[in-house]
Amino acid sequence: MTSAQREDAAKALSIQARREILQMTHDAGASHVGSALSVVDILCAVYSGSLNINSKNYSQDDRDVVILSKGHACTALYAVLSLTGFFPKTWLRKYSSNGSELGGHVTSGSIPGVELSTGSLGHGMPYGLGICIARKRNKVSGKTYVIMSDGECDEGTTWESALIANHFGLNNFCVIIDRNNLQSMGSTESTLALEPFVEKWKAFGWDVIEIDGHNFKELVEALKYSSNKPICIIANTIKGKGVDFMEGRVVWHYRPPTEKDLLEALEQIESSKS
Amino acid sequence: MRNTFVKTLYEEAKRNENIVLITGDLGFQLFDNFQKNLPKQFINAGLTEQSMMSMAAGIASTGKRVFVYSIANFSTLRCLEQIRNDVCYMNNSVVVVSVGGGFAYGTLGYSHHATEDIAIMRSLPNMQVISPCDGIETEVITKILATTSNPSYLRLGKTGELNLNMNTPRIINGKFNVLREGNHGYIFFTGSVGIIAQKSVIQLEKMGLNVSLISVPFISKLDKDFLVEMIRDVPIVIVEEHVSRGGLGAAFMEAFISLNLQVKLNHVSASLENLALTGDQEFLREANGISVAKIVKFFIKI
Repeated sequence: MTSAQREDAAKALSIQARREILQMTHDAGASHVGSALSVVDILCAVYSGSLNINSKNYSQDDRDVVILSKGHACTALYAVLSLTGFFPKTWLRKYSSNGSELGGHVTSGSIPGVELSTGSLGHGMPYGLGICIARKRNKVSGKTYVIMSDGECDEGTTWESALIANHFGLNNFCVIIDRNNLQSMGSTESTLALEPFVEKWKAFGWDVIEIDGHNFKELVEALKYSSNKPICIIANTIKGKGVDFMEGRVVWHYRPPTEKDLLEALEQIESSKS
Repeated sequence: MRNTFVKTLYEEAKRNENIVLITGDLGFQLFDNFQKNLPKQFINAGLTEQSMMSMAAGIASTGKRVFVYSIANFSTLRCLEQIRNDVCYMNNSVVVVSVGGGFAYGTLGYSHHATEDIAIMRSLPNMQVISPCDGIETEVITKILATTSNPSYLRLGKTGELNLNMNTPRIINGKFNVLREGNHGYIFFTGSVGIIAQKSVIQLEKMGLNVSLISVPFISKLDKDFLVEMIRDVPIVIVEEHVSRGGLGAAFMEAFISLNLQVKLNHVSASLENLALTGDQEFLREANGISVAKIVKFFIKI
């Protein structure tokens, strides 16, 4: 697959995944639709051939490990995994219902391709670096990608892990931050300021690249990047991306789409194809 | 216990490269052998208990058996959620090791005591809680833990505990270790506080009473067959260096209730009032109501 083909595949996937996210959150009356629409393009790029992970090889020792640490954006991961053949699409219809395989935060165990249950922020990064240390010491190839939220960078374990990854020279570790500038109750900067964000990561010894997290060319390019240091990709995104009345609005961290919202949103997604 | 644990684990790790030991920057000079001879199997994670625990789970997810070592509450309460989510719920092969169970760190204060740990650890799904009473049990149990894969909590004392076992016992998960048999009652204990239990048994013997002395290393899996077979109508005393809530005493109460057995159950544990006092381990045990006198009283009342 060429880079251009991957970009096209990711773009096509993202349209389908957005539909599923909207449908799932609507059906389940569930929250975090804005977070899922923010991170979904990153996941689509990740699962469209740029990394060594797919529905056939997810149990292999040398696969690329992908952990969605912002577990509240689970609908995006479930949609992408299902659409790329990890598990049946029928599971999506039961999302977040009693006895469903798919819980309201990323839940591991019985879901093919899900490496770690998340939901409490700040777990993905230290867990992922553990995999990196073990692989480095045992000469197992394959990288680990932890996709996290910018709000998650309030957590102490993020910066503990930033220290550890640098100290152990984990050049097989990549963190992708879904930098949508919004967290639970307002902007990241008004809640607990992260800026100067790039400089912070650099000061911790990381190689940092900043991209547009909705631009598939930049995403595919960034996923190819390698370094002798741990890599931090700051992907600038828009919470609620793709649905104009959700974009940049904190309320869609909580509110499930109504029937009317859903129809309007699906229409917008449909027209974005052209 | 601490030294026996490290020595035993080192020997196991030499034979099994899947064993990994992580310390949270504690154990000065204790791990020199590990660090020097098995550098691929040793990590000092610095003072990052929370990340250290998730990291341990991540390492374990690649097929390793990971031991995470720190003092008392640092390896348990400081990183409780990481133990719960990433080790227990994910069923990763991690052994949480705490050195200094109970008041072992004495005058260092309650920041360094582990007095609520059993209650909390035994409530976690998949978690096996183990508390050896001396170096001999520690050696056997460390070997078991090195060759199994359950999420586990290993509660150690510190150093210099007297051996309560005379010989290397046959330790089986889910079985008690009976150190001495008697027909006038039972003292069950866990951990290094066994020395108080043993002294009580000796004193009772002088008073003409033969009491069974039983170590309970496997707290999360009590031997129910044994409980059913026990002599009725004699006092049973549970002794632990832990708060009265949720520990070994609670485990016995739960077991007796589930077996629908009426027993004369007594509990010697730390009251919640004096936990913050300053003093050495002996002083703190006494001040918190863990004493020979208190144990003996339950037997002479009848």
